[in-house]
Amino acid sequence: MPNIIACYKWVLDEQDIKVGANLSLDTSRAKGKISDYDRNAIEEAVLLNEKLGGEVIGLTYGASVKPSLKDALSRGLTKAVWVEDASAETADARVISNVLAAAAKKEAYDVILCAEGSSDTYTQQIGPRLATLLGIPAITFVSAMKIEGNKVIATRNLGSCTEEVTAEFPVLLTVLPEINKPRIPSLKQVLGASKKPNTQVKAADLGLDASALAPKAQMKSLKGFTMSRKNVILKDGEVADKVATLVASLKKEGIL
Amino acid sequence: MAGIWVYSEDIEISKQLLALGREVAEKMQKPVCALTIADDAQELIAFGADKVFVLKGDSIWPEAYAATIADLAKTEAPEAIFMGATLRGKDVAAKVAAALDTGLSTEATAIRVEGDVIEADRMVYGGLAVRTEVLAAPAMATIPARSFEALAKDDSRTGEVVEVAATFDARLSVGAVSPIVRQGADLSVAEKVIGVGRGLGKEADLEMVKELAGLMGAEIGCSRSIAEDYHWMPAESYIGISGAKIKPQIYLTIGVSGQVQHVSGVRDSRIIVAIDKSDTAPIFEAADYGIVGDLYQVVPALIEALKK
Repeated sequence: MPNIIACYKWVLDEQDIKVGANLSLDTSRAKGKISDYDRNAIEEAVLLNEKLGGEVIGLTYGASVKPSLKDALSRGLTKAVWVEDASAETADARVISNVLAAAAKKEAYDVILCAEGSSDTYTQQIGPRLATLLGIPAITFVSAMKIEGNKVIATRNLGSCTEEVTAEFPVLLTVLPEINKPRIPSLKQVLGASKKPNTQVKAADLGLDASALAPKAQMKSLKGFTMSRKNVILKDGEVADKVATLVASLKKEGIL
Repeated sequence: MAGIWVYSEDIEISKQLLALGREVAEKMQKPVCALTIADDAQELIAFGADKVFVLKGDSIWPEAYAATIADLAKTEAPEAIFMGATLRGKDVAAKVAAALDTGLSTEATAIRVEGDVIEADRMVYGGLAVRTEVLAAPAMATIPARSFEALAKDDSRTGEVVEVAATFDARLSVGAVSPIVRQGADLSVAEKVIGVGRGLGKEADLEMVKELAGLMGAEIGCSRSIAEDYHWMPAESYIGISGAKIKPQIYLTIGVSGQVQHVSGVRDSRIIVAIDKSDTAPIFEAADYGIVGDLYQVVPALIEALKK
Protein backbone atom coordinates (compact mmCIF):
# COMPACT_ATOMS: atom_id res chain seq x y z
CA MET A 1 0.00 0.00 0.00
CA PRO A 2 2.04 2.91 -1.26
CA ASN A 3 1.88 6.38 0.22
CA ILE A 4 1.72 8.88 -2.60
CA ILE A 5 2.20 12.64 -2.52
CA ALA A 6 0.61 14.62 -5.33
CA CYS A 7 1.96 18.16 -5.54
CA TYR A 8 -0.27 20.88 -6.87
CA LYS A 9 -0.20 24.64 -7.32
CA TRP A 10 -3.09 27.03 -6.80
CA VAL A 11 -2.77 29.52 -9.66
CA LEU A 12 -4.70 32.41 -11.14
CA ASP A 13 -6.88 31.40 -14.06
CA GLU A 14 -4.96 32.95 -16.95
CA GLN A 15 -8.13 33.15 -19.07
CA ASP A 16 -9.34 35.97 -16.81
CA ILE A 17 -6.11 37.98 -16.76
CA LYS A 18 -6.30 41.01 -19.01
CA VAL A 19 -3.49 43.03 -20.53
CA GLY A 20 -3.95 46.73 -19.78
CA ALA A 21 -3.13 49.69 -21.99
CA ASN A 22 0.36 50.13 -20.56
CA LEU A 23 1.03 46.38 -20.87
CA SER A 24 0.37 45.89 -17.16
CA LEU A 25 -1.56 42.79 -16.14
CA ASP A 26 -5.00 43.14 -14.61
CA THR A 27 -5.56 40.11 -12.39
CA SER A 28 -8.50 41.58 -10.47
CA ARG A 29 -11.02 39.29 -12.19
CA ALA A 30 -8.88 36.17 -12.15
CA LYS A 31 -9.96 33.46 -9.74
CA GLY A 32 -7.81 30.70 -8.33
CA LYS A 33 -7.72 27.21 -9.79
CA ILE A 34 -5.69 24.06 -9.43
CA SER A 35 -3.11 24.31 -12.19
CA ASP A 36 -4.45 22.34 -15.18
CA TYR A 37 -1.83 19.60 -15.39
CA ASP A 38 -1.67 19.24 -11.61
CA ARG A 39 -5.17 17.81 -11.90
CA ASN A 40 -3.63 15.00 -13.95
CA ALA A 41 -1.05 14.42 -11.20
CA ILE A 42 -3.79 14.27 -8.54
CA GLU A 43 -5.94 12.02 -10.74
CA GLU A 44 -3.09 9.57 -11.34
CA ALA A 45 -2.30 9.45 -7.62
CA VAL A 46 -5.95 8.79 -6.81
CA LEU A 47 -6.27 6.10 -9.51
CA LEU A 48 -3.24 4.31 -8.04
CA ASN A 49 -4.67 4.71 -4.55
CA GLU A 50 -8.02 3.23 -5.60
CA LYS A 51 -6.18 0.19 -6.94
CA LEU A 52 -3.51 -0.24 -4.27
CA GLY A 53 -4.72 1.48 -1.13
CA GLY A 54 -2.44 3.50 1.12
CA GLU A 55 -2.58 7.24 1.47
CA VAL A 56 -2.66 9.92 -1.17
CA ILE A 57 -1.60 13.30 0.13
CA GLY A 58 -2.03 16.58 -1.70
CA LEU A 59 0.86 18.97 -1.04
CA THR A 60 0.80 22.64 -1.94
CA TYR A 61 2.61 25.90 -1.20
CA GLY A 62 1.41 29.39 -2.00
CA ALA A 63 0.64 32.82 -0.65
CA SER A 64 -3.04 31.97 -0.31
CA VAL A 65 -3.79 28.27 -0.73
CA LYS A 66 -6.49 27.58 1.84
CA PRO A 67 -9.21 28.16 -0.79
CA SER A 68 -7.70 25.29 -2.82
CA LEU A 69 -8.29 22.60 -0.21
CA LYS A 70 -11.92 21.84 -0.97
CA ASP A 71 -11.29 21.46 -4.69
CA ALA A 72 -8.18 19.34 -4.14
CA LEU A 73 -9.73 17.06 -1.52
CA SER A 74 -12.88 16.54 -3.58
CA ARG A 75 -10.72 14.92 -6.26
CA GLY A 76 -10.08 11.85 -4.12
CA LEU A 77 -7.06 12.77 -1.98
CA THR A 78 -7.11 11.30 1.53
CA LYS A 79 -5.54 14.38 3.10
CA ALA A 80 -3.92 17.68 2.26
CA VAL A 81 -0.77 19.37 3.56
CA TRP A 82 -0.49 23.05 2.87
CA VAL A 83 2.14 25.70 3.39
CA GLU A 84 0.77 29.23 3.21
CA ASP A 85 3.47 31.86 3.30
CA ALA A 86 4.09 35.32 1.87
CA SER A 87 7.43 34.14 0.47
CA ALA A 88 5.43 32.49 -2.33
CA GLU A 89 4.70 35.94 -3.80
CA THR A 90 8.26 36.21 -5.08
CA ALA A 91 9.19 32.52 -5.15
CA ASP A 92 11.04 31.06 -8.13
CA ALA A 93 11.17 27.34 -8.91
CA ARG A 94 14.09 26.98 -6.49
CA VAL A 95 12.17 28.43 -3.54
CA ILE A 96 9.06 26.39 -4.34
CA SER A 97 11.15 23.21 -4.49
CA ASN A 98 12.92 24.06 -1.22
CA VAL A 99 9.58 24.41 0.55
CA LEU A 100 7.96 21.34 -1.02
CA ALA A 101 11.05 19.22 -0.28
CA ALA A 102 11.13 20.31 3.36
CA ALA A 103 7.40 19.62 3.74
CA ALA A 104 7.61 16.25 1.94
CA LYS A 105 10.36 15.14 4.34
CA LYS A 106 7.84 15.36 7.18
CA GLU A 107 5.61 12.80 5.45
CA ALA A 108 6.17 9.09 4.86
CA TYR A 109 6.06 8.70 1.08
CA ASP A 110 6.88 6.09 -1.52
CA VAL A 111 5.97 7.99 -4.67
CA ILE A 112 5.74 11.71 -5.43
CA LEU A 113 3.77 12.88 -8.45
CA CYS A 114 4.05 16.32 -10.02
CA ALA A 115 2.74 17.74 -13.27
CA GLU A 116 5.29 18.41 -16.01
CA GLY A 117 4.67 22.15 -15.50
CA SER A 118 2.22 24.68 -14.06
CA SER A 119 -0.19 26.75 -16.11
CA ASP A 120 1.09 30.08 -14.75
CA THR A 121 4.88 29.99 -14.91
CA TYR A 122 5.40 26.59 -16.60
CA THR A 123 9.03 26.36 -15.50
CA GLN A 124 8.87 22.54 -15.69
CA GLN A 125 11.49 22.48 -12.92
CA ILE A 126 9.68 21.47 -9.74
CA GLY A 127 9.68 17.68 -10.26
CA PRO A 128 13.36 17.19 -11.11
CA ARG A 129 14.43 19.82 -8.56
CA LEU A 130 12.37 18.23 -5.81
CA ALA A 131 13.80 14.77 -6.57
CA THR A 132 17.33 16.17 -6.47
CA LEU A 133 16.74 17.90 -3.12
CA LEU A 134 15.22 14.73 -1.67
CA GLY A 135 17.97 12.56 -3.15
CA ILE A 136 15.54 10.29 -4.99
CA PRO A 137 15.35 9.36 -8.69
CA ALA A 138 13.14 11.41 -11.03
CA ILE A 139 11.26 10.05 -14.02
CA THR A 140 9.99 12.99 -16.05
CA PHE A 141 7.40 13.38 -18.84
CA VAL A 142 5.51 10.20 -18.00
CA SER A 143 2.59 9.21 -20.23
CA ALA A 144 1.73 5.93 -18.48
CA MET A 145 2.74 4.29 -15.22
CA LYS A 146 2.10 1.29 -13.02
CA ILE A 147 3.23 0.09 -9.63
CA GLU A 148 4.27 -3.53 -9.02
CA GLY A 149 5.27 -4.22 -5.43
CA ASN A 150 7.74 -1.49 -4.54
CA LYS A 151 8.62 -0.83 -8.15
CA VAL A 152 7.37 1.88 -10.49
CA ILE A 153 7.37 1.17 -14.21
CA ALA A 154 6.83 4.30 -16.27
CA THR A 155 6.61 5.15 -19.94
CA ARG A 156 8.14 8.51 -20.81
CA ASN A 157 7.02 10.32 -23.94
CA LEU A 158 9.84 12.47 -25.30
CA GLY A 159 8.17 13.50 -28.53
CA SER A 160 10.43 11.54 -30.86
CA CYS A 161 10.52 8.34 -28.79
CA THR A 162 9.08 6.64 -25.76
CA GLU A 163 11.18 5.06 -23.04
CA GLU A 164 10.36 2.56 -20.35
CA VAL A 165 12.00 3.52 -17.05
CA THR A 166 11.89 1.47 -13.84
CA ALA A 167 12.77 2.52 -10.29
CA GLU A 168 12.10 1.29 -6.80
CA PHE A 169 10.46 3.39 -4.07
CA PRO A 170 10.99 6.17 -3.23
CA VAL A 171 10.72 7.82 -6.62
CA LEU A 172 9.32 11.02 -8.13
CA LEU A 173 7.49 11.20 -11.45
CA THR A 174 6.25 14.14 -13.49
CA VAL A 175 3.19 13.31 -15.56
CA LEU A 176 2.03 14.51 -18.96
CA PRO A 177 -1.62 15.56 -19.48
CA GLU A 178 -2.14 12.57 -21.78
CA ILE A 179 -1.74 10.16 -18.84
CA ASN A 180 -5.42 10.39 -17.83
CA LYS A 181 -8.56 12.48 -17.89
CA PRO A 182 -9.13 14.15 -14.51
CA ARG A 183 -12.52 13.41 -13.00
CA ILE A 184 -15.10 16.06 -12.33
CA PRO A 185 -15.87 15.71 -8.63
CA SER A 186 -19.43 14.70 -7.78
CA LEU A 187 -21.54 16.73 -5.38
CA LYS A 188 -21.00 14.01 -2.76
CA GLN A 189 -17.24 14.25 -3.18
CA VAL A 190 -17.37 18.04 -2.92
CA LEU A 191 -19.42 17.83 0.26
CA GLY A 192 -17.18 15.10 1.67
CA ALA A 193 -14.05 17.15 1.06
CA SER A 194 -14.57 19.38 4.07
CA LYS A 195 -14.55 16.32 6.37
CA LYS A 196 -11.15 15.14 5.17
CA PRO A 197 -8.07 15.98 7.21
CA ASN A 198 -5.81 18.83 6.22
CA THR A 199 -2.63 19.95 7.93
CA GLN A 200 -1.21 23.43 7.78
CA VAL A 201 2.57 23.54 8.01
CA LYS A 202 4.18 26.87 8.81
CA ALA A 203 7.13 27.86 6.64
CA ALA A 204 8.95 28.76 9.86
CA ASP A 205 8.69 25.13 10.99
CA LEU A 206 10.37 23.77 7.87
CA GLY A 207 13.92 24.56 8.98
CA LEU A 208 14.58 26.81 5.99
CA ASP A 209 16.67 29.97 6.35
CA ALA A 210 15.80 33.30 4.72
CA SER A 211 18.04 32.66 1.71
CA ALA A 212 16.22 29.39 0.92
CA LEU A 213 13.01 31.42 0.61
CA ALA A 214 14.50 34.24 -1.51
CA PRO A 215 14.44 33.83 -5.30
CA LYS A 216 17.60 33.49 -7.37
CA ALA A 217 15.68 34.03 -10.60
CA GLN A 218 14.21 37.30 -9.44
CA MET A 219 11.40 39.00 -11.32
CA LYS A 220 12.43 42.38 -12.70
CA SER A 221 9.36 43.09 -14.80
CA LEU A 222 6.16 41.45 -16.02
CA LYS A 223 4.63 42.85 -19.18
CA GLY A 224 1.68 41.78 -21.27
CA PHE A 225 2.64 40.38 -24.65
CA THR A 226 0.92 41.92 -27.62
CA MET A 227 0.99 40.86 -31.21
CA SER A 228 0.21 43.24 -33.99
CA ARG A 229 -1.88 41.66 -36.72
CA LYS A 230 -3.89 43.07 -39.61
CA ASN A 231 -7.25 42.05 -38.09
CA VAL A 232 -9.17 42.15 -41.38
CA ILE A 233 -12.26 40.30 -40.18
CA LEU A 234 -15.16 39.64 -42.57
CA LYS A 235 -18.39 39.47 -40.61
CA ASP A 236 -21.34 40.34 -42.82
CA GLY A 237 -22.37 39.21 -46.28
CA GLU A 238 -22.71 36.00 -48.22
CA VAL A 239 -20.33 33.15 -47.44
CA ALA A 240 -19.19 32.91 -51.08
CA ASP A 241 -18.31 36.61 -51.16
CA LYS A 242 -16.38 36.45 -47.88
CA VAL A 243 -14.46 33.41 -49.11
CA ALA A 244 -13.68 35.14 -52.43
CA THR A 245 -12.39 38.20 -50.58
CA LEU A 246 -10.23 36.02 -48.32
CA VAL A 247 -8.78 34.06 -51.24
CA ALA A 248 -7.97 37.32 -53.06
CA SER A 249 -6.21 38.68 -49.94
CA LEU A 250 -4.16 35.51 -49.51
CA LYS A 251 -3.16 35.61 -53.20
CA LYS A 252 -2.00 39.18 -52.69
CA GLU A 253 0.07 37.99 -49.73
CA GLY A 254 1.68 35.48 -52.08
CA ILE A 255 0.48 32.52 -50.03
CA LEU A 256 -2.06 30.83 -52.32
CA MET B 1 39.08 29.79 -15.91
CA ALA B 2 35.38 29.08 -15.33
CA GLY B 3 33.50 30.80 -18.13
CA ILE B 4 30.25 30.43 -19.97
CA TRP B 5 29.06 26.84 -20.37
CA VAL B 6 26.81 25.41 -23.03
CA TYR B 7 25.34 21.93 -23.17
CA SER B 8 22.87 19.95 -25.18
CA GLU B 9 22.57 16.26 -25.95
CA ASP B 10 21.78 17.46 -29.49
CA ILE B 11 24.89 18.64 -31.37
CA GLU B 12 22.90 21.01 -33.60
CA ILE B 13 21.52 22.82 -30.54
CA SER B 14 25.00 22.87 -28.97
CA LYS B 15 26.28 24.70 -32.05
CA GLN B 16 23.46 27.26 -31.75
CA LEU B 17 24.16 27.70 -28.02
CA LEU B 18 27.85 28.30 -28.80
CA ALA B 19 26.81 31.38 -30.80
CA LEU B 20 24.94 32.68 -27.73
CA GLY B 21 27.83 31.61 -25.48
CA ARG B 22 30.36 33.59 -27.55
CA GLU B 23 28.18 36.70 -27.46
CA VAL B 24 27.78 36.53 -23.67
CA ALA B 25 31.42 35.51 -23.11
CA GLU B 26 32.75 38.47 -25.04
CA LYS B 27 30.72 40.90 -22.94
CA MET B 28 31.84 39.22 -19.74
CA GLN B 29 35.43 38.64 -20.92
CA LYS B 30 35.22 34.92 -20.26
CA PRO B 31 35.99 31.78 -22.24
CA VAL B 32 33.28 29.50 -23.65
CA CYS B 33 33.18 25.86 -22.54
CA ALA B 34 31.02 23.22 -24.16
CA LEU B 35 29.99 20.02 -22.43
CA THR B 36 29.27 16.92 -24.44
CA ILE B 37 28.38 13.29 -23.91
CA ALA B 38 29.34 12.39 -27.49
CA ASP B 39 32.55 12.17 -29.46
CA ASP B 40 32.29 15.60 -31.05
CA ALA B 41 34.76 17.81 -29.16
CA GLN B 42 36.62 19.05 -32.27
CA GLU B 43 33.32 19.95 -33.93
CA LEU B 44 32.31 22.00 -30.88
CA ILE B 45 35.67 23.82 -30.95
CA ALA B 46 35.22 24.59 -34.65
CA PHE B 47 31.85 26.15 -33.82
CA GLY B 48 33.17 28.38 -31.05
CA ALA B 49 34.14 26.45 -27.91
CA ASP B 50 37.44 27.40 -26.21
CA LYS B 51 37.31 24.28 -24.08
CA VAL B 52 35.29 21.08 -24.17
CA PHE B 53 34.49 18.80 -21.27
CA VAL B 54 33.78 15.32 -22.63
CA LEU B 55 31.66 13.43 -20.10
CA LYS B 56 32.71 9.81 -20.40
CA GLY B 57 30.44 7.05 -19.24
CA ASP B 58 28.72 3.94 -20.45
CA SER B 59 25.18 5.33 -20.17
CA ILE B 60 23.50 6.42 -23.38
CA TRP B 61 20.73 8.07 -21.34
CA PRO B 62 21.45 11.85 -21.39
CA GLU B 63 19.48 12.45 -18.17
CA ALA B 64 21.95 10.25 -16.30
CA TYR B 65 24.70 12.86 -16.71
CA ALA B 66 23.00 15.58 -14.63
CA ALA B 67 24.84 14.66 -11.42
CA THR B 68 28.23 14.67 -13.18
CA ILE B 69 27.53 18.07 -14.75
CA ALA B 70 26.49 19.45 -11.33
CA ASP B 71 29.63 18.11 -9.65
CA LEU B 72 31.84 19.55 -12.38
CA ALA B 73 30.11 22.93 -12.10
CA LYS B 74 30.66 22.96 -8.34
CA THR B 75 34.41 22.58 -8.93
CA GLU B 76 34.77 24.82 -11.98
CA ALA B 77 32.29 27.55 -10.94
CA PRO B 78 31.06 28.80 -14.34
CA GLU B 79 29.42 32.23 -14.52
CA ALA B 80 26.56 30.88 -16.63
CA ILE B 81 25.22 27.61 -17.99
CA PHE B 82 22.99 27.54 -21.07
CA MET B 83 21.31 24.28 -22.01
CA GLY B 84 19.13 23.26 -24.94
CA ALA B 85 15.45 23.32 -24.00
CA THR B 86 14.66 19.82 -25.24
CA LEU B 87 12.63 17.71 -22.83
CA ARG B 88 15.79 15.86 -21.83
CA GLY B 89 17.68 19.16 -21.52
CA LYS B 90 15.02 20.68 -19.27
CA ASP B 91 15.17 17.61 -17.03
CA VAL B 92 18.96 17.82 -16.75
CA ALA B 93 18.99 21.61 -16.27
CA ALA B 94 16.51 21.52 -13.38
CA LYS B 95 18.50 18.80 -11.60
CA VAL B 96 21.77 20.71 -12.08
CA ALA B 97 20.16 23.96 -10.87
CA ALA B 98 18.85 22.23 -7.75
CA ALA B 99 22.26 20.71 -7.02
CA LEU B 100 23.92 24.12 -7.49
CA ASP B 101 21.19 25.82 -5.43
CA THR B 102 20.71 28.39 -8.17
CA GLY B 103 17.97 29.88 -10.36
CA LEU B 104 17.04 28.69 -13.83
CA SER B 105 15.09 30.42 -16.56
CA THR B 106 13.11 27.89 -18.62
CA GLU B 107 12.83 28.38 -22.39
CA ALA B 108 14.34 31.84 -22.31
CA THR B 109 13.41 33.91 -25.36
CA ALA B 110 16.18 36.48 -24.78
CA ILE B 111 19.38 36.63 -22.76
CA ARG B 112 20.97 39.97 -21.88
CA VAL B 113 24.14 40.91 -20.04
CA GLU B 114 23.69 44.00 -17.86
CA GLY B 115 27.09 44.81 -16.34
CA ASP B 116 28.13 41.50 -14.86
CA VAL B 117 24.58 40.29 -14.33
CA ILE B 118 22.64 38.07 -16.72
CA GLU B 119 18.93 38.50 -17.21
CA ALA B 120 16.46 36.48 -19.23
CA ASP B 121 13.02 36.93 -20.74
CA ARG B 122 10.48 34.13 -20.75
CA MET B 123 6.78 33.62 -21.38
CA VAL B 124 4.36 33.15 -18.49
CA TYR B 125 0.58 32.69 -18.15
CA GLY B 126 0.43 30.61 -21.29
CA GLY B 127 2.13 33.31 -23.37
CA LEU B 128 -0.01 36.19 -22.13
CA ALA B 129 2.97 37.98 -20.59
CA VAL B 130 6.74 38.23 -20.71
CA ARG B 131 8.59 37.94 -17.44
CA THR B 132 12.09 39.38 -17.21
CA GLU B 133 14.16 37.77 -14.49
CA VAL B 134 17.56 38.62 -13.05
CA LEU B 135 19.63 35.49 -12.57
CA ALA B 136 22.02 35.10 -9.64
CA ALA B 137 25.36 33.44 -10.46
CA PRO B 138 25.74 30.82 -11.70
CA ALA B 139 23.03 32.00 -14.11
CA MET B 140 21.21 29.14 -15.77
CA ALA B 141 18.77 29.12 -18.66
CA THR B 142 17.37 26.62 -21.11
CA ILE B 143 17.11 27.87 -24.68
CA PRO B 144 14.75 26.49 -27.34
CA ALA B 145 16.21 24.98 -30.52
CA ARG B 146 16.77 27.38 -33.43
CA SER B 147 16.79 30.46 -31.18
CA PHE B 148 20.29 31.30 -32.40
CA GLU B 149 22.08 30.69 -35.65
CA ALA B 150 25.29 28.70 -35.33
CA LEU B 151 28.48 30.58 -36.20
CA ALA B 152 30.35 29.63 -39.37
CA LYS B 153 32.48 26.55 -38.85
CA ASP B 154 36.14 27.40 -38.43
CA ASP B 155 38.38 24.32 -38.49
CA SER B 156 41.44 26.45 -37.70
CA ARG B 157 40.15 27.19 -34.18
CA THR B 158 41.90 25.39 -31.37
CA GLY B 159 40.76 24.51 -27.90
CA GLU B 160 41.40 22.35 -24.92
CA VAL B 161 39.65 18.99 -24.52
CA VAL B 162 39.23 17.54 -21.02
CA GLU B 163 37.71 14.15 -20.30
CA VAL B 164 35.58 13.75 -17.19
CA ALA B 165 34.50 10.37 -15.84
CA ALA B 166 30.74 10.31 -15.28
CA THR B 167 29.03 8.66 -12.32
CA PHE B 168 25.52 7.29 -12.46
CA ASP B 169 22.51 6.66 -10.24
CA ALA B 170 22.03 2.89 -10.27
CA ARG B 171 18.51 3.18 -8.85
CA LEU B 172 17.00 3.87 -12.28
CA SER B 173 17.00 1.53 -15.22
CA VAL B 174 16.02 2.45 -18.73
CA GLY B 175 14.44 -0.35 -20.73
CA ALA B 176 12.84 -0.37 -24.13
CA VAL B 177 13.25 2.81 -26.19
CA SER B 178 10.76 2.95 -29.05
CA PRO B 179 10.81 5.60 -31.74
CA ILE B 180 7.46 7.32 -32.25
CA VAL B 181 6.45 7.11 -35.88
CA ARG B 182 4.95 10.45 -36.72
CA GLN B 183 1.51 10.22 -38.22
CA GLY B 184 1.89 13.62 -39.85
CA ALA B 185 4.71 15.90 -40.83
CA ASP B 186 6.78 17.84 -38.32
CA LEU B 187 4.53 20.84 -37.67
CA SER B 188 7.39 22.95 -36.32
CA VAL B 189 8.95 23.20 -39.79
CA ALA B 190 5.77 23.10 -41.94
CA GLU B 191 5.21 26.02 -44.36
CA LYS B 192 1.43 25.81 -44.22
CA VAL B 193 -0.59 24.62 -41.24
CA ILE B 194 -4.32 24.24 -40.58
CA GLY B 195 -5.40 24.12 -36.94
CA VAL B 196 -8.71 22.62 -35.88
CA GLY B 197 -10.51 23.32 -32.64
CA ARG B 198 -13.63 22.44 -30.75
CA GLY B 199 -15.81 24.27 -33.23
CA LEU B 200 -15.59 21.06 -35.20
CA GLY B 201 -18.67 18.99 -34.34
CA LYS B 202 -17.37 15.46 -34.77
CA GLU B 203 -14.30 13.48 -35.64
CA ALA B 204 -15.63 12.55 -39.10
CA ASP B 205 -15.59 16.23 -40.04
CA LEU B 206 -11.81 16.04 -40.10
CA GLU B 207 -12.26 14.58 -43.62
CA MET B 208 -13.43 17.98 -44.84
CA VAL B 209 -10.38 19.58 -43.23
CA LYS B 210 -8.11 17.00 -44.84
CA GLU B 211 -9.54 17.84 -48.25
CA LEU B 212 -8.80 21.53 -47.67
CA ALA B 213 -5.30 20.67 -46.42
CA GLY B 214 -4.68 18.60 -49.54
CA LEU B 215 -5.65 21.51 -51.79
CA MET B 216 -3.48 23.97 -49.85
CA GLY B 217 -0.54 21.62 -49.32
CA ALA B 218 -0.93 22.16 -45.58
CA GLU B 219 -0.30 19.98 -42.53
CA ILE B 220 -3.00 19.66 -39.86
CA GLY B 221 -2.60 20.44 -36.19
CA CYS B 222 -5.15 21.06 -33.46
CA SER B 223 -5.99 22.78 -30.20
CA ARG B 224 -5.26 21.08 -26.91
CA SER B 225 -8.71 19.63 -26.26
CA ILE B 226 -8.89 17.94 -29.68
CA ALA B 227 -5.74 15.95 -28.85
CA GLU B 228 -5.92 15.61 -25.08
CA ASP B 229 -9.65 15.42 -24.32
CA TYR B 230 -11.22 14.13 -27.53
CA HIS B 231 -8.21 12.15 -28.83
CA TRP B 232 -9.27 12.86 -32.41
CA MET B 233 -5.67 13.61 -33.30
CA PRO B 234 -2.36 12.35 -31.84
CA ALA B 235 -0.74 14.27 -28.94
CA GLU B 236 2.04 15.50 -31.28
CA SER B 237 -0.58 17.44 -33.31
CA TYR B 238 -1.39 19.73 -30.40
CA ILE B 239 -0.26 23.27 -31.13
CA GLY B 240 0.38 25.61 -28.21
CA ILE B 241 2.79 26.70 -25.54
CA SER B 242 3.14 23.18 -24.12
CA GLY B 243 2.77 21.50 -27.52
CA ALA B 244 4.13 22.17 -30.99
CA LYS B 245 5.30 25.70 -31.69
CA ILE B 246 4.91 26.56 -35.33
CA LYS B 247 6.20 29.27 -37.67
CA PRO B 248 4.55 28.68 -41.05
CA GLN B 249 3.87 31.16 -43.86
CA ILE B 250 0.17 30.67 -43.20
CA TYR B 251 -1.71 29.32 -40.23
CA LEU B 252 -5.41 28.79 -40.89
CA THR B 253 -7.64 28.02 -37.92
CA ILE B 254 -11.01 26.28 -38.18
CA GLY B 255 -13.24 26.45 -35.12
CA VAL B 256 -10.38 27.41 -32.79
CA SER B 257 -11.47 29.89 -30.12
CA GLY B 258 -7.92 31.12 -29.61
CA GLN B 259 -7.05 30.66 -25.98
CA VAL B 260 -3.80 32.32 -25.05
CA GLN B 261 -1.93 29.00 -24.71
CA HIS B 262 -2.80 28.15 -28.31
CA VAL B 263 -2.03 31.57 -29.73
CA SER B 264 1.38 31.72 -28.07
CA GLY B 265 2.36 28.57 -29.99
CA VAL B 266 1.55 30.17 -33.35
CA ARG B 267 2.70 33.75 -32.87
CA ASP B 268 5.67 33.37 -35.20
CA SER B 269 3.36 32.52 -38.11
CA ARG B 270 3.63 35.03 -40.98
CA ILE B 271 -0.11 35.19 -41.69
CA ILE B 272 -2.86 33.93 -39.40
CA VAL B 273 -6.35 33.30 -40.82
CA ALA B 274 -9.30 32.42 -38.60
CA ILE B 275 -12.66 30.84 -39.35
CA ASP B 276 -15.09 30.72 -36.44
CA LYS B 277 -18.76 31.33 -35.81
CA SER B 278 -18.28 33.62 -32.80
CA ASP B 279 -17.20 37.16 -33.66
CA THR B 280 -16.02 37.60 -30.08
CA ALA B 281 -13.63 34.61 -30.24
CA PRO B 282 -10.16 35.79 -29.16
CA ILE B 283 -8.64 34.12 -32.24
CA PHE B 284 -9.82 37.08 -34.36
CA GLU B 285 -7.64 39.46 -32.34
CA ALA B 286 -4.67 37.26 -33.22
CA ALA B 287 -5.64 36.94 -36.89
CA ASP B 288 -4.59 38.88 -39.98
CA TYR B 289 -7.68 37.71 -41.85
CA GLY B 290 -10.82 36.17 -40.56
CA ILE B 291 -14.26 35.01 -41.57
CA VAL B 292 -17.03 35.03 -39.01
CA GLY B 293 -19.41 32.28 -40.01
CA ASP B 294 -20.49 28.67 -39.83
CA LEU B 295 -17.43 26.60 -40.62
CA TYR B 296 -19.67 23.99 -42.28
CA GLN B 297 -20.52 26.62 -44.89
CA VAL B 298 -17.20 28.48 -45.02
CA VAL B 299 -14.86 25.49 -45.34
CA PRO B 300 -16.78 23.83 -48.25
CA ALA B 301 -16.94 27.23 -50.00
CA LEU B 302 -13.19 27.64 -49.49
CA ILE B 303 -12.61 24.15 -50.90
CA GLU B 304 -14.70 25.04 -53.97
CA ALA B 305 -12.85 28.33 -54.43
CA LEU B 306 -9.45 26.62 -54.25
CA LYS B 307 -10.52 23.95 -56.75
CA LYS B 308 -11.09 26.64 -59.36
